[in-house]
Amino acid sequence: MYTPQRSALRNLKMRNKNADLVFPSHKPIPDKSVGASKQSGTNAPVKLVIKPLKVKPMLPVNFEDEMWHKLKSAIIAIHNHRPVKESFEELYKACENLCLHNMAPSLYSKLVNECEKHYIAEKRRLDDNPATQEAFLFEINRCWELHCQQMELIRSIFLYLDRTYVLHTPGIASIWDMGIELFRKHILPPSAVRQKTLWGLLSLIKYERGGDSINRPLVNTLINMFSQLNIYTQGFESQFLSETRDYYEEEGERLVEKLSVSNYIQHVSKRLEQEHQRIMNYLEKKTSTPLFKVVEDELIRKHIDTILAKGFSDLMKGDRNSRKNSKSKLEDLEELYDLLQRVNALDRLRAYFGNYIKNTGASIINDPIVNDPKQDVTVIEQLINFKRRMDEFVEVSFSSSYNFDQALKEGFETFINKRQTKPAELLAKFIDKKLKIGNKQTSDSEVESILNDALVLFRYIQGKDVFEGFYKRDFAKRLLMNKCASDDYERSMLFKMKRECGPGYTSNLEQMFKDIHTSREFMKAFYDSRYGDQLREEFKVDLHVNTLTQGSWPSYNPTPLNIPPEVAQCQQIYETFYREKARGKGLKWYNNLAYCVLSAYYPSGNKEFECTSFQAVTLLTFSELPQTELRTFEEIQQATGMETKELVRTLLTLACAKVKLLVKHPKGKDLKPTDKYSVCDDFKFKLFRIRINSVQMEKTMEENEKTVERVFLERHYQVDACAVRIMKMRKSLSFTELISELLGQLKFKAEVPDLKKRIESLIDREYLERGRDDPTIIRYLA
Amino acid sequence: MKVKIKSWNSVAIWKWDVPNEEVCGICRVAFDGCCSTCKTPGDDCPLIWGECSHVFHMHCLLRWLATEGSRGQCPMDRKAWVTAK
Repeated sequence: MYTPQRSALRNLKMRNKNADLVFPSHKPIPDKSVGASKQSGTNAPVKLVIKPLKVKPMLPVNFEDEMWHKLKSAIIAIHNHRPVKESFEELYKACENLCLHNMAPSLYSKLVNECEKHYIAEKRRLDDNPATQEAFLFEINRCWELHCQQMELIRSIFLYLDRTYVLHTPGIASIWDMGIELFRKHILPPSAVRQKTLWGLLSLIKYERGGDSINRPLVNTLINMFSQLNIYTQGFESQFLSETRDYYEEEGERLVEKLSVSNYIQHVSKRLEQEHQRIMNYLEKKTSTPLFKVVEDELIRKHIDTILAKGFSDLMKGDRNSRKNSKSKLEDLEELYDLLQRVNALDRLRAYFGNYIKNTGASIINDPIVNDPKQDVTVIEQLINFKRRMDEFVEVSFSSSYNFDQALKEGFETFINKRQTKPAELLAKFIDKKLKIGNKQTSDSEVESILNDALVLFRYIQGKDVFEGFYKRDFAKRLLMNKCASDDYERSMLFKMKRECGPGYTSNLEQMFKDIHTSREFMKAFYDSRYGDQLREEFKVDLHVNTLTQGSWPSYNPTPLNIPPEVAQCQQIYETFYREKARGKGLKWYNNLAYCVLSAYYPSGNKEFECTSFQAVTLLTFSELPQTELRTFEEIQQATGMETKELVRTLLTLACAKVKLLVKHPKGKDLKPTDKYSVCDDFKFKLFRIRINSVQMEKTMEENEKTVERVFLERHYQVDACAVRIMKMRKSLSFTELISELLGQLKFKAEVPDLKKRIESLIDREYLERGRDDPTIIRYLA
Repeated sequence: MKVKIKSWNSVAIWKWDVPNEEVCGICRVAFDGCCSTCKTPGDDCPLIWGECSHVFHMHCLLRWLATEGSRGQCPMDRKAWVTAK
């Protein structure tokens, strides 16, 4: 640590060479303190004695002025870009000496004064500068750069002052800061010059936003100057932000109208990127948050509704039947998602997404062509494609967000259940078509993926019981008519449903499947047994029997039909075998469900017909009749023993369909009771084996109604059972409580009026009763 | 035209070989239905015939025979229960 006193001493030593060197021989001085001199006698060592000065050394009178003069001329030279006369070392020494002699305070104030004079002159020059905009910015820039260089030099010269006096004296600024302070005070006070600089900067930035290229290093140094001068925040940033707001406010309003939504989104993304670059290039990092907020506010937040209302559905729209979205759409939506995420407005996007799904889905389902049964399958296909596309959006564009996935789910659940039982029916039929023989899809994986898609829709359907009703009916048909494309597909579908709804849901379906397999085994055993031999010997009919378990299959009603005697005999033989093999079990024949293959012999050649038992029996009555012989409706009915309704249907399929095996007299599309029928000997058809359409549209409709009816009946039982179960446990409940309990427990979506009816019915049947005092209370009757 | 049957696919529903509408003497449920512990009728809830000609749901009878009071007798005629072959 340096102290002025010690340093002064050192100076004096060097200056005054009058310190005495005293030798012992010349003038002996007794010195008690040095013991060695006594022992050594005359050869004592040389002794050095330093005496204090008699007069305190003085500085030269004009020392301070001289030194300051040197320094001052150096400062002036620096300010005027002239070379400095003295060497810097000398100047440094001068400063040091002044400081050592306690002249630091006055030196400092002189320095400040000198610099101030310079800046005042500089300011005057700038004020008179007529240059505008960019030229002026260059001028300021030059001024600042000079200031930095000059202050650097000056500080180096006055480093000693800076490190000692300035450092230890509170309340005064370091030389650098003092320079900054002076610069701010004189060159850039909040006045015209600063304004001019600011506007210059802002207009440069505006040019850049407009797409022009600007002198970025200039902007960079000037903004850096604002930061150094500590006037960035209030002198630059606030004006910059408000200017930005104005700029983007105008741009947002103009472009949101003019551009398509997808272009607008891209534009906004581009803008955000540019502003980011701006921050990297020349703004202070802390401006980032407020700047982005301004841009987001003006370009996004203000226009969210306009953007979404105007273009969201366009962005989502795709080809109804295509499974993929175009890449650009995915990207646009992804950007939209990112933008809205920035402004925390994903909820609104989500709402639009949900609504879009609801509306589009509902329009697919409620399409007028849906009422045309031929279009049924395409509806499901469209829904599957729609679902795939939406999945893709969620996955790719909405970064698999949970909320969007939920919106997707909700949307599907809402619209798919709007048309009560229809979607369930359509879906069951769709799957039926895919699992039937003759389906175009060949590869296993293709079928599998379609089944998976269908299952996704299945998940959304509330009327799972309706689906089961239809599925079961179609499944039964596939099994009985031997139309399953593959047992593996069937098993896979059953497994999927089981996994989705639990084993109870598919137990009947599985039983059906099992029945068919057991039947096959039985048939094999039958043909291996003596009964099989008997059958082969006596008849040329190839018999197959499907033995069903009652209750698992859709309920069938046997209708009267006079089956050919040889078939009846065959069945008799089989039944004997069956009773022997499966002890305790008997068979009940459902001949109306049978189907058969007939060999037909025409003059033109042989044919085979695949047909139902009704059709077969009807055709058999015409066997070997000449073409000229006509038969009336009554005659046929008597021979076949069929009900009128069934016979009418059968005749329609034989005489009025595309393939006409019988000829109706007179010809026509409708049947009249007076019509007569004959065979058609010149029957021609290019195929050998012909499948005769069995199901007429009218019949399908009737079947559909029946299936739905049965499902509803089943629901009644479920409501009854559920209500009794609840009441048995709770003993007494208010009417509304019971209703809400029921709604909570029932697996399907029940309507309150229906529930009321069921409760009334239970009261009528004395399972429950109304409270005697309070009729709103329901009580359980044991 | 001459038509002949080539093949015939029949459908039949099997039923327990007991008189119609008869009920199990133990649980009083129709044989077409199932015993009180089963959920679905059919092969999962079979019947059992005794040499005494009486028929029950197999589950019902086994439960009965498992009780001490049964002494291994048919609940209808109190003869020792022998399952018919």
